[in-house]
Amino acid sequence: MIKVTIDGRDIEVKEETTILNAARELGIKIPTLCYSEFLEPYAVCRICLCEVVRGKRSRLVTACNYPLRDASVSILTNSARVRNLRKLNLELLLAQAPAAKIVQDLAAEYGVTKTRFPIKNPDEKCILCGLCVQVCENLVGAGAIGFSSRGSKREVSTPWGVEPETCILCGACAHFCPTGHIVMTEEADERILHSELTLGPNAAISIPFRQAIPNVPRIDVEHCIHFKTGGCELCSKVCPKDCIDYQMKDEIEDIDVGAIVVATGFQDFDPTPLKQYGYGKYANVLSSIEFEQMNNAASPTGGAIVLENGEEPRSVAILHCIGSRDENNHKYCSRVCCMYALKFAHLIKEKTTAEVYQLYIDMRAFGKGYEEFYHRLLEEGVNVIRGKGAEIAPIGGKFGEEGLLVRCEDTLISKFREIPVDMVVLCTALEARDDSADLARKLNISKGADGWFIEAHPKLAPVSTTTDGVFLAGVCQGPKDIPDAVAQGTAAAGQAMKLMTVGELFLDAAYAAITDEICSGCRICNGLCPYNAISFLEDKKVSEVNAAMCKACGTCAAACPSGAITARHFTDDQIYAQIEAIFA
Amino acid sequence: MPKLNLEDLDKISEWRRRTTMLREGAGRAKVTVHMGTCGIAAGARKIMDALLRLVEENDVKDVILTTSGCAGLCSREPMATVELVNEAPVKYVDLTEEKIGAIFREHVLGGRPVLEYALALGSERTQ
Amino acid sequence: MPYRANMMVCAGTGCVSNHSLELKQALEEEIQKRGLTDEVQVVPTGCNGFCGAGPIVVVQPDGIFYQLLKVKDIPYLVEEHLLKGRPVPRLMYVPPEEKTPIPKMNDIGFFKGQMLVALRNRGMIDPENIDDYIARDGYRSLAKVLTTMTPDEVIGVIKASGLRGRGGGGFPTGIKWESCKKAEGDIKYVICNADEGDPGAFMDRSIIEGDPHSVLEGMAIGAYAIGVSQGYIYVRIEYPLAIQRFRIALKQARDYGLLGDNIFGTGFSFDVDIRRGAGAFVCGESTALMASVEGRPGEPRAKYIHTVEHGLWNRPTCLNNVETWATVPVIILRGVEWFTSIGTGDVSQNPWGGSKGTKVFSLAGKINNTGLVEVPMGITLREMIYDVGGGIPKGRKFKAVQTGGPSGGFLPTELLDLQVDYEQLTEAGSMMGSGGMVVMDEDNCMVDMAKYFLTFTQDESCGKCTPCREGTLQMLEILKRICEGKGVPEDIQLLEDLSHFVIDASLCALGGSAPNPVLTSLRYFRDEYITHIRDKKCPAHICRDLNVYTIDPELCLVKGHGCGVCRRQCPDSAIVGEKNQVHNIDQELCKKCGVCLDVCKFDAVKVA
Repeated sequence: MIKVTIDGRDIEVKEETTILNAARELGIKIPTLCYSEFLEPYAVCRICLCEVVRGKRSRLVTACNYPLRDASVSILTNSARVRNLRKLNLELLLAQAPAAKIVQDLAAEYGVTKTRFPIKNPDEKCILCGLCVQVCENLVGAGAIGFSSRGSKREVSTPWGVEPETCILCGACAHFCPTGHIVMTEEADERILHSELTLGPNAAISIPFRQAIPNVPRIDVEHCIHFKTGGCELCSKVCPKDCIDYQMKDEIEDIDVGAIVVATGFQDFDPTPLKQYGYGKYANVLSSIEFEQMNNAASPTGGAIVLENGEEPRSVAILHCIGSRDENNHKYCSRVCCMYALKFAHLIKEKTTAEVYQLYIDMRAFGKGYEEFYHRLLEEGVNVIRGKGAEIAPIGGKFGEEGLLVRCEDTLISKFREIPVDMVVLCTALEARDDSADLARKLNISKGADGWFIEAHPKLAPVSTTTDGVFLAGVCQGPKDIPDAVAQGTAAAGQAMKLMTVGELFLDAAYAAITDEICSGCRICNGLCPYNAISFLEDKKVSEVNAAMCKACGTCAAACPSGAITARHFTDDQIYAQIEAIFA
Repeated sequence: MPKLNLEDLDKISEWRRRTTMLREGAGRAKVTVHMGTCGIAAGARKIMDALLRLVEENDVKDVILTTSGCAGLCSREPMATVELVNEAPVKYVDLTEEKIGAIFREHVLGGRPVLEYALALGSERTQ
Repeated sequence: MPYRANMMVCAGTGCVSNHSLELKQALEEEIQKRGLTDEVQVVPTGCNGFCGAGPIVVVQPDGIFYQLLKVKDIPYLVEEHLLKGRPVPRLMYVPPEEKTPIPKMNDIGFFKGQMLVALRNRGMIDPENIDDYIARDGYRSLAKVLTTMTPDEVIGVIKASGLRGRGGGGFPTGIKWESCKKAEGDIKYVICNADEGDPGAFMDRSIIEGDPHSVLEGMAIGAYAIGVSQGYIYVRIEYPLAIQRFRIALKQARDYGLLGDNIFGTGFSFDVDIRRGAGAFVCGESTALMASVEGRPGEPRAKYIHTVEHGLWNRPTCLNNVETWATVPVIILRGVEWFTSIGTGDVSQNPWGGSKGTKVFSLAGKINNTGLVEVPMGITLREMIYDVGGGIPKGRKFKAVQTGGPSGGFLPTELLDLQVDYEQLTEAGSMMGSGGMVVMDEDNCMVDMAKYFLTFTQDESCGKCTPCREGTLQMLEILKRICEGKGVPEDIQLLEDLSHFVIDASLCALGGSAPNPVLTSLRYFRDEYITHIRDKKCPAHICRDLNVYTIDPELCLVKGHGCGVCRRQCPDSAIVGEKNQVHNIDQELCKKCGVCLDVCKFDAVKVA
């Protein structure tokens, strides 16, 4: 530790601490333009120049990288000499990059409002601070941009001015650019989507969703710069508790359980293939889940309903049955859309002054209080149009940035209608998850043609499955709203509890058994057992029946070519004896 | 084993010095053969050749051979001047190959001027 | 058979450009024709420094100096000098303002005032023959160091000698070596800075082309003292001959085992590689040079860490200039006492205490003997310019001399008796630099000269830091403005402020010294700026925009009879007049190109 004096105030710091950091500890602000705490000091803007006074000698050094090595120096961060140098420096920068706001602001702080030097390009923003180049090379590790030419012709550029192959489009350069000279732009027809701009967790490290358990961030390996280039590691630099572990891998854990409740839910229907709605192409065409996220108080918009340009919409159309009740997609009714669409309408009315249009096929407001809610909305002035939304077209701008036109047939008045709106919400179908077939195979449960899992009996065993100990809850069994899902979940949990509270299983006396000495290990029975109760023992080369899973159906016993399997209490001898008794 | 040791360096230096010394204009002795038109006509060429041979045969390293123009005494050509460091130059006249051989041995190598062939002692220095 | 004469043909770049190689061929042919092949040897040498007199042939052992030779002179020269022993006066050097030729090289003023240390083998050896170098005590210092001295003793000698960096900084070489030796690290490097970038300076090139082994020997000695096994030579690609000579020298030294493993059987190993630079001025700066050697853009780094601790590839690195390395072997061989007897000050207590030894300068500009000279430190500017340099051509008046390359300051007549050493030059606002010396006479405009040199440094700025990039640019704009007659009185203060700002705030020494010409011209020739700004006049008539061209009616009519040449040549039709009548210049139309002045044979066109 050494003791130094900064602007007359004493401070004790570790050796090699820079003047800038020491001054920051004292709350003394030294202006910087090319400095970032995440990068090695580049020390080229020379704005942070300070005086180091040793006895009678004074020397000018850059605060950002001058290491304090000897005690008894005093540092002047704001002396007349330093201020004069900064003023002239800013005046030169004002001539070189007059459009850079950061320079204008800093200059104004120093009382420099105009420059005495000729301005080359009034629109120039780049101050050649090198942050972008540094971050790309040293943090990201891509090395996609650098400086070209020298002296006053120096500029930030990609190699030979062409699109660099090494650029990973991470946008770090734009993020670090203090003047706004570097911006991310859109390629001709590929738009950056509304959701990615304002809603999506588009950082490579984030909490996957708000109620995630455990509620900690995780790294999206696919988009993380570190996993692309080996560089960056910015998150570990800022994490005060050293929690970031780049070595961590996805793991498969084995857990022994006695019962399984399948509650895998649904996935959202992707409306992109329905070109008529322009989802993913037009600005302000949202899926229902995106709209729901926007309304969340913790969303990037803070729960406000806004357009891509940040303005409030003047009118919103909500289109029902996107992908449901549709011969070409899902024939079934998704069941929840009508009610949440009405809720959306209510939210829009509550938060904005926008007109709302509901385009529906049938208004399915069954259930307690639902019909009443529908009527309340009608009173709130929501426009309901019976007719499915047929097409969305842009009014202004290539991507409908200035408005959208919704076309439909109003079947009640038998008229074709065109409704100009600012925003469209698509009530997309609930559909079974793509991996539901896999799961069904794994748990030996069945699923219907729509992909939803099938219960053991629609009336008598609505949460059970064909496999003992596996229960269903929620939308994985079929579309349902939250109260229904909760009810079903509670029932499934009760069924599981029933198994667990007993502690041990009472088996049926009747089950199949294999006599090891006779079993030839042909494994015919293995595949035939509908309850997955038979497994092959590799060490003994014979099959074995798990008595707890066996339902004593007798299939295996009938099929066994060597007669090694007996169905207990239904042995051949017993059956023969019964037959004899009947005919006796 | 190193490619070159200190003795080798000395050997190279010695051997090469014979040619380069000339450029420095510094030697123990300097023999100037006067090779004006008169001298050449009287056979200075032969004297020069003889001297060059003598230097070679005796493996002498510190003697500079050089030429100059007419010395002004054309009737006594071929002539040569022998200068030893810190000694007065000696001008020899009416030279023959035998005479120059004797001069080389006695004066250049031995340091004793051959007075019988000499014109005079202490004539002008040629620097 | 030994030779009786050596014809030392200068094969430096200057003389080669003046066809000295054709001369050499003609000489060899002529000598063969005359049957003198066994008696006369033709030796190509490095630059003699007197490039203004090239091509040069020196006949040894007589030391007769022939200049400005042409191939057609050769038969006569061979016949007269080599056959008949009669030197040829008409091919000799004649001092300006005199008539008598000087036959001997060492009697010529240019050579007489010189003292050759770094250039000790100049004109004496064939640079492509290592034996020639060895014959003149080459590699003897290395042998001495390796067999009889410890590394610390070597550093002690260099420290005591007071040798200071010849590349510009003037940092004591011994101290640099010592710090590098003490720095932590197993692998260390030595680098030879041969990135000579000053326009018109060719000290380093001359040494490399004329005596490459002296540099290699110096590097090997330094490497031994510091504990280094790898060296690099950074030389600009614009010096192809220097690169070639280095390559040959490296091969020969390796063949002899003077580079490589186990040199002289002492267990010391050292080798050198060549790195070629693209020729940016800033790459002469040590950190930029190292970045370039590493293969990165040649830009200086902003770090408060010395390169002797963290240099090339972040390892301890000792960088010295060509001339410094070439001087080292002489100091080892001839001793501290001899070296410290030359120069100024006292270095026995403090290596900063004086400037010892000799320094090579390249004389250029308005001076009779342009070329390369090596003089003892402490020589006055007057001796340098009038004795060695032969004075100003055409009897014009001396105005200023710039020392130290494009970033050096201008020193006026009052400072002619200034001694050339590190401290005195710096105090006067200039610097030793790498040894450029540009002489200006009364026909030079100092504002224009400041503009000229700033144009160079501004163009060579790497642009990394704001002060150097933007500051020099705006300074140049102001100077251009003044030269165009658009200057305002505030410009002088602004120039001064900017100069101090660029010096104080720049990242490296390029910016830290670039304003020197401007500052010193403002200090010593301020009135010229004022004349430019206030009176809109250029006293030397260099700044054409400020000139007014007029025609003296009497001279035009009486002497020229209204010849009309100016009228026909004027590209802007600004000159009117009938044939045989007085001509006049229409000032409205005149674009001040100056053609009329050049074409008038009767001096009737006047400029004011």
